[in-house]
Amino acid sequence: MNWRHVQLIFQREMLDQLRDRRTLFTIAVLPLLLYPLMGMLMMQMAQFKRDYPVRVEIIGIDNWPSDVPLVDADGKLVPELERDELRGGIEFTVRSWPAEAADVSNLMETTRQAIAADRFDAALLVFPDFEQQLRSRLAAGGPMSLSAQEPGQEGDGRRPTHAKDEEASASTAGSPSLQLIANLARDRSQTARRRLEQVLDRWRSRWVARQLDRAGLSPQLVEPLPIQATDLAPPKVRKAMLWSKVLPFVMLVWALTGAFYPAIDLCAGEKERGTLETLLSSPARRQEIVWGKLATICVFSIATAVLNLLSMHVTAGIVLKQMVAHGAPGAAELLGPMPVHAFGWLILLLLPLSAFFSALALAVAALARSTKEGQYYLMPLLLVTLPLVALPMMPSLELSVSTSLVPVSGAVFLVRSLIEGRYAEAAMHLPVVLAVTVGCCWLAIRWAIRQFESEAVMFRESERWNLRLWVHHLWRDRREVATPTEALLCGVIILVAMFFAQMLAGASINSWPSIVTSTVVVQIGIVLAPAVLMATLLTNSLRESLRLRIPQWSHLAAAILLGIGFHPWYRLLASRVAVLFPIGEETAAALQYFERIVMAQPWWVCVGLLALLPAVCEELTFRGFIFSGLERHGRRLGAILVSAIFFGWTHNLLPQSIAATLMGVLLGVVAWRTGSVWCTMIMHGMNNAMSLLMAWHGHHGTPIPDRLTWMLRSSAGTWEYTTGWTVVGLACSVIALVILFRRPATPPPLPCTAATTP
Amino acid sequence: MVEAIELTKTYPDLQRGAFVALDRVSFVVGEGEVFGLLGPNGAGKTTALRILSTVLQPSSGSARVNGFDVLTHSYEVRHSIGFVSSNTAIYDRMTAWEMVAYFGKLYGLEPPQLEERMHRVFDQLQMHEIRDVPGAKMSTGMRQKVNIARAIVHDPPVLVFDEASLGLDILAARSLLQVIASLRDAGKCIIFSTHIMREVERLCDRVGILYRGRMLALGTLPELSDRYGEADFEELFFKLLLQADKERHTLDDAVMGRR
Repeated sequence: MNWRHVQLIFQREMLDQLRDRRTLFTIAVLPLLLYPLMGMLMMQMAQFKRDYPVRVEIIGIDNWPSDVPLVDADGKLVPELERDELRGGIEFTVRSWPAEAADVSNLMETTRQAIAADRFDAALLVFPDFEQQLRSRLAAGGPMSLSAQEPGQEGDGRRPTHAKDEEASASTAGSPSLQLIANLARDRSQTARRRLEQVLDRWRSRWVARQLDRAGLSPQLVEPLPIQATDLAPPKVRKAMLWSKVLPFVMLVWALTGAFYPAIDLCAGEKERGTLETLLSSPARRQEIVWGKLATICVFSIATAVLNLLSMHVTAGIVLKQMVAHGAPGAAELLGPMPVHAFGWLILLLLPLSAFFSALALAVAALARSTKEGQYYLMPLLLVTLPLVALPMMPSLELSVSTSLVPVSGAVFLVRSLIEGRYAEAAMHLPVVLAVTVGCCWLAIRWAIRQFESEAVMFRESERWNLRLWVHHLWRDRREVATPTEALLCGVIILVAMFFAQMLAGASINSWPSIVTSTVVVQIGIVLAPAVLMATLLTNSLRESLRLRIPQWSHLAAAILLGIGFHPWYRLLASRVAVLFPIGEETAAALQYFERIVMAQPWWVCVGLLALLPAVCEELTFRGFIFSGLERHGRRLGAILVSAIFFGWTHNLLPQSIAATLMGVLLGVVAWRTGSVWCTMIMHGMNNAMSLLMAWHGHHGTPIPDRLTWMLRSSAGTWEYTTGWTVVGLACSVIALVILFRRPATPPPLPCTAATTP
Repeated sequence: MVEAIELTKTYPDLQRGAFVALDRVSFVVGEGEVFGLLGPNGAGKTTALRILSTVLQPSSGSARVNGFDVLTHSYEVRHSIGFVSSNTAIYDRMTAWEMVAYFGKLYGLEPPQLEERMHRVFDQLQMHEIRDVPGAKMSTGMRQKVNIARAIVHDPPVLVFDEASLGLDILAARSLLQVIASLRDAGKCIIFSTHIMREVERLCDRVGILYRGRMLALGTLPELSDRYGEADFEELFFKLLLQADKERHTLDDAVMGRR
């Protein structure tokens, strides 16, 4: 790598972009104008904002208890019930219970029509027996029952609003004697209902206090334990909390946007203008070109994000001051200036993620032949990346071992912890977040370099796509194994089908027959069928595409040895992963329920269904079709990793997925060295069967035979390996791997067909 | 200086499975020689020249430029070659001087040498008037001059011109041919692809005629006239193309008949 070339390309691209008015506008001018303009608009809009009074009709005011009134003689809310939060107020129209209202349903219908015709926003029906019911409920333990109903709602609409009301309602005979009617599809009606409920809550407290007073008890019994809350967070940190959620999101969205346009211009734009071939014919190597362009995109991505961040923060500060000055003191409590150290953490977050976004954008933009095409390609990238950026804004999620593994989101969670001063927590997860982020950056940059080295990408001609021709091409140009694209497609089809199957099956898997059905359907219908179908249609050799070659005897023996020897280590690994990534209580309970059903079956049925069937189906698919297809161009490590990730992903729970992915890597290595899925099937089947048998015997309390006590021990309702056997297992695994690596598989590797240019 | 041996390039093709753009093409070009690569559109000229300039890789066969193999020593090949094509444009937002200087630096020229070379090239191509004009404001002829300047700034022994006169007016095209002739006189090895016969007759010492990826004829103009009994080169060219088409149809008919 010639860094002088990288520097030259970077300088030229920077100069070129800085001379482009469109780029400058998007990166520098837009952020400086956008937020002040938005702030101005908000301030303008705020001038028009006012709290409208809502109109509520009370029918049957004469039925209201006279000792604690709701409204005065003029139909206005009594002053004791007025509060600040009722800004705008309630305009009551009161009328007595109609003498002729024998049919209550007619009265309700008339009221509904009045709300539908917008004469009122809500209505409160006070039934004649209201006071009487209050007294009887008081005796039963509940003061008042209110039922809320929307106009047009089916049934009698007399449902209580609160659980305790429901209980009270159930404990006394008869129906609720207050009915609140509103139309929740309209804002004003919603507001009316909310305000009315607040008023009624306050009235309820006053009424209860009055009854306690009459009974000679202290009204303070209503609130026997006054609680004083103390917030330990310094005001600055408390004020920064909202920013710590909002700013990373805003910053990363702009970092992504800032990477898009330079990436399109520096790749697709150059292809379109014909300048890319000029550069490709220069002494600069492809990877030097990529690094030079990447650095440029990265600078623009960072600049866009930082300028937006600063502009937004300054504007928000000014708007906040104005809001406080115009009588919104709550705003000052809620929001404050972002602490300076937080900006430092944000910039630290921005650097690797901008590099990641830039490399992704560059790799995707390299596919396009024109800027227009580039925009089509980058939109899906935005849609995929945005949820990762938005995920940390969800209220119940925070930095944990699981979230730290999610690309982009993990880094945002980490920075949030740092901004909020949780340094110990951040330090604990830093290595994982760093590894994931650096790994993603590396993969994205490798992808971008590969794109530039590929003739098919750099010199792609415009081609009219035709379904008939494409199908014909797939059939005519079949090879012995699938292409990498077909292998990836197979993996994606399985994951999507698995997702829908899980959603559809849901909680219906709750008995042994349903477990049998779902396992057979998933393994044969979802995991195996796509691979076999694609192998039949898209390749001309089932034996090669599913890797069904006959293995060497030594490889078979090594696979058996590895299956036995590695099992203690796999269990150890799985238990460590389970500790690191604990599952929720509900999931654990569901698993225990599932386990009880399974363990009630004979052991050989469990082994056949849950150990051997998955071993056969999953090996044919993941190490057979997918691994062979991915390995076609000689990218073996990538093939092992990707097939292992697909394999792990199909295991529903995160701890299971992680353990299965690691196991998938080992199975991939075995498939590579032996050239056959028979070996991996045996190893996988043994691993599953041994785990199941140990759990089954442990569950049934089977005593460990004396001849096996040096190998196994009982522990908490299951069988475990002894330390001695674990060490022996390691030795067996090493011997097996030595055999596998000393003796290569019989068939030679498949020829490489992709053209790349250094 | 340039040696192509059995160069073959195939592309995947949805309709035909594989499209052979170049089919076992061989030729040699020496120092101080202009080799004309002739052929209609789609003959494989650009593919062949892209392989020589290491922008593409051959599917099979090999090529050496200035003694370096295009596959194993692509970096050295790129240092030894100047590649001008109708597909190699110049940057719109850079001036002529900046553009040539940029490529000079990429070719590894250090400041004093770069300055000296740039002045020489700007003199040779009479480009001083457009020195500070950005690419976007140049005419096609000016742009082609800048393109040539950036290709020769490092004084390479081999120059490849792929349909370099495409879109040029008569004055600019004439000027281009003069530049190529002067480069030949300076001892450069030049490969010049075109489909304009008059340019070939004026400039080329030897020619190779490509059609549908195959080399139909190779030699000096008098040799080809003698070999095919046709004094007019344009007629000779059409005659060869028609003959190749006829042979191909006969072959197709024979294959269809056998089926």
